Amino acid sequence: MSSFGAIDKILEKLENCLVPTEKEIQFVCLKARQIFLKEGNTIFLKAPITICGDVHGQFWDLKELFEIGGKPPGTSYLFMGDFVDRGYYSIETFLLLLTLKVRYPDKITLIRGNHESRQITQVYGFYDECMKKFGNSSVWRYCTELFDYLSLSAIVENKIFCVHGGLSPKIDTLNQIRLIDRKTEVPHEGPMCDLLWSDPDEKTASWELNPRGAGFFFGKTVVEEFQKVNNLELIARAHQLCQDGFQYSFDKKLVTVWSAPNYFYRCANSASVMKVDSELNHSFKVFDAAPQEKRNVKLRRTTSMYFL
Amino acid sequence: MSDQKKDDEIYPIAVLVEELKNEDVQLRLNSLRQISTIAQAVGQERTRSELIPFLNDATDDEDEVLLVLADELGNLVEFVGGGEYAHTILPPLTTLASVEETVVREKTVEAIKKISKEMGEDQIQEFLYPVLKQLATGKWFTSRSSACGLFSICYQNVDEETKTELRQLFSDLCKDPTPMVRRSAAKGLAVLVPYVGRENLRKELIPLFVKLAEDDQDRVRLLAVDNCVALSKILTEDEFITYVIPTLKSCAKDRSWRVRYMVAERFCQLSEPIEPEVTKNDLVEVFIGLLKDNEEEVRTCATLRIAELCGQIRVYQDVIKDAILPVIEELSKDFSDNVKIALAASVTELAPIIGKEMTVEKLVPLYLDLLKEDISDVKLNIISKLDTVTQVITIEVLASTLLPVVVELFEDRQWRVRNAVIEYIPKLAIQLGVQFFDEKLTDLTMSWLKDSVFKIRQTAARNLVKLTKVFGSDWCMEHLLPHIFKLLEEPNYKIKQTGMYSLTVLAPELGNEIVTEKILPKIKNLKSDKVANVKLYLAKTLKSLLPYLEENTIQQEVKPCLNELAKDEDPDVKHFATSALNKIS
Repeated sequence: MSSFGAIDKILEKLENCLVPTEKEIQFVCLKARQIFLKEGNTIFLKAPITICGDVHGQFWDLKELFEIGGKPPGTSYLFMGDFVDRGYYSIETFLLLLTLKVRYPDKITLIRGNHESRQITQVYGFYDECMKKFGNSSVWRYCTELFDYLSLSAIVENKIFCVHGGLSPKIDTLNQIRLIDRKTEVPHEGPMCDLLWSDPDEKTASWELNPRGAGFFFGKTVVEEFQKVNNLELIARAHQLCQDGFQYSFDKKLVTVWSAPNYFYRCANSASVMKVDSELNHSFKVFDAAPQEKRNVKLRRTTSMYFL
Repeated sequence: MSDQKKDDEIYPIAVLVEELKNEDVQLRLNSLRQISTIAQAVGQERTRSELIPFLNDATDDEDEVLLVLADELGNLVEFVGGGEYAHTILPPLTTLASVEETVVREKTVEAIKKISKEMGEDQIQEFLYPVLKQLATGKWFTSRSSACGLFSICYQNVDEETKTELRQLFSDLCKDPTPMVRRSAAKGLAVLVPYVGRENLRKELIPLFVKLAEDDQDRVRLLAVDNCVALSKILTEDEFITYVIPTLKSCAKDRSWRVRYMVAERFCQLSEPIEPEVTKNDLVEVFIGLLKDNEEEVRTCATLRIAELCGQIRVYQDVIKDAILPVIEELSKDFSDNVKIALAASVTELAPIIGKEMTVEKLVPLYLDLLKEDISDVKLNIISKLDTVTQVITIEVLASTLLPVVVELFEDRQWRVRNAVIEYIPKLAIQLGVQFFDEKLTDLTMSWLKDSVFKIRQTAARNLVKLTKVFGSDWCMEHLLPHIFKLLEEPNYKIKQTGMYSLTVLAPELGNEIVTEKILPKIKNLKSDKVANVKLYLAKTLKSLLPYLEENTIQQEVKPCLNELAKDEDPDVKHFATSALNKIS
């Protein structure tokens, strides 16, 4: 309890889109790791809860999401991965979510996406952002080491299964997820990789190769079987852009939730969050990107501010 | 003086010399920032005889470094011995005034002006003028460009003969073959205008002003507009009409949109110092031309200034009605979103200027059209200033025309529009009075407490406080509390939280008795709620209500409840309950 003071200070910085110091980031990562260590590969969650998809470093849009859905601890949240890369504020975005997790571990849950990986973040922006904002790779290392501890999936009231990508041919039951050793860089293949990379496909019968080069396409029969065997009502996942913020597949047996509006600052899509109430009814709140005036950050002064 | 002491005094400069040879730019920058300290250490004489000459030789470096050097030199007057010796700093600054990088030159001119302020008239005549002349007749355009910035401070402090020479030099610079120099001259002209005296102004400067306004570079021409502003403050009515208005009119029709944009931008600054009659006769048609300009940016810029301009000519209501209002009607159908957004921003402020009748006849239909636009910024701009309008028109007009449209906006798709409407409601309430409000608006106001957007629910709750301040706590008790208590029984946990939040913010308005007797029993019911988020919110609410409760109520009613919550299995419920209990003890 006494360390909440330090956490609250860091939280205040992050709420204002200010980058914490390297030491502060190290502190938060350490605290977060202790919490993640206690979480299994599938986290059991209670309703009511608000489920969110990719945010990809779009800090101001995450703030917009909280304006619309309320903040922890008043509202409980699950974020299904892909917190970093592509947006300009991967550090602030991920650290805000992480610090909220440290402060209210029971009211916000984070699971791993395919971008929470050393390899991917070196290509899609998180590594570069760390180098630019800190001049060295320490923060990137703290975060990517922490990514290894993130859970792979969650389940709400034993009925709504949540994962970043999708299903795996190697996983028929939820119990099998338990057997995975998740504390590793995302593998190139295998069940852990599939969970973070697979995509649903209406034209696929059961399994097809995924053009992404990792994970599989999975079809209706697979989803029906998986739900039947595991007694599920719905599969919620993210990983794919939805113009309208969310997209049902397979007769509403599966839904994709996407929480990054105007993705990559150019796609002009809406975003959404999925609200699940105490009776496990779910509904979507669609929202758009925060307007330009809300996206102001104090200009960071560097020594060479001159050359206009 | 012993050798040792001599060394001690030279030593800081020697260190500076070494540091400025360092490869690392950062280190060089840091050393330069210490110049004042070094100057203070070595004393005034050595600063003049050794430090400054050394710095004069240090002017071959990267632009970052030179910028700092220029800045620091401007601070050295007190360290060279005050105004009497300020001129000794001029040599290095003169060198810097000729460098390639514009930012460095601008800083240098600033620094020269700064030290010149400390110089007496004699020093300016003896030392600054030669520097200016040297720069103004320099071989490179960079030095000539810098010279333009120094005329005004020099001119005020020299004798008549020198003044004539200065005017000649300035005139040459206005006709310089390089556009960059002509630009600097055009900028310098506005500053020089107040000092040259009426006759020289008419005979020499105004012809220069006109010539620069016809320059073939648009970046030079657009500076003519600022010169118009400067002139408008000095000239008489007739002079302004004769000398400035023709130039202004041609700028407003310039082939480059940047120049036309500048006219729109500075329009109200131009028209402010002159008589409304002149504005009406000569400038209104220019303004209308800008409102109809081909280029969207120009139209937008002019549109933003409609209200201000009309305010300046408000004695001429028929001009506003016949000339400007028709154009405004056209603008409301403009195909550009930005123009409509600008129109929405400025057109509400027109209402108090043209009075009730005209507002009802001409502006209200316009507001209604804009409020039906799909562009949320248009709606936001109208709603946020709607009370300016409603103070002008009667309640009957308000109720029959604007109100129905505003009510539609209660449910606008864009949550920020709904938010703006909520913020407007208390102002509306004051005008409509309690009866009308109850009939039409109370239910709608309460429905916001169930809005799907969190921020709206918060704003709506705070809105209840503002309404209670207008209509009184009895009204709140009778009309609002029953609704709020119902919220506590809704199945959705967020609505329960909104209910609790509303009660928290209303507590100060309602007073201890109501909090104790009515509110406390209702919220305590939530202590067995199944949802942890509700229970933790209850703990927070109880903590906020403590100041409004008697001691024995706290001990008998609140503490047991909190003790129960403190034993909850959810750590956050425990945390907030414990925090509340700590406040009690």
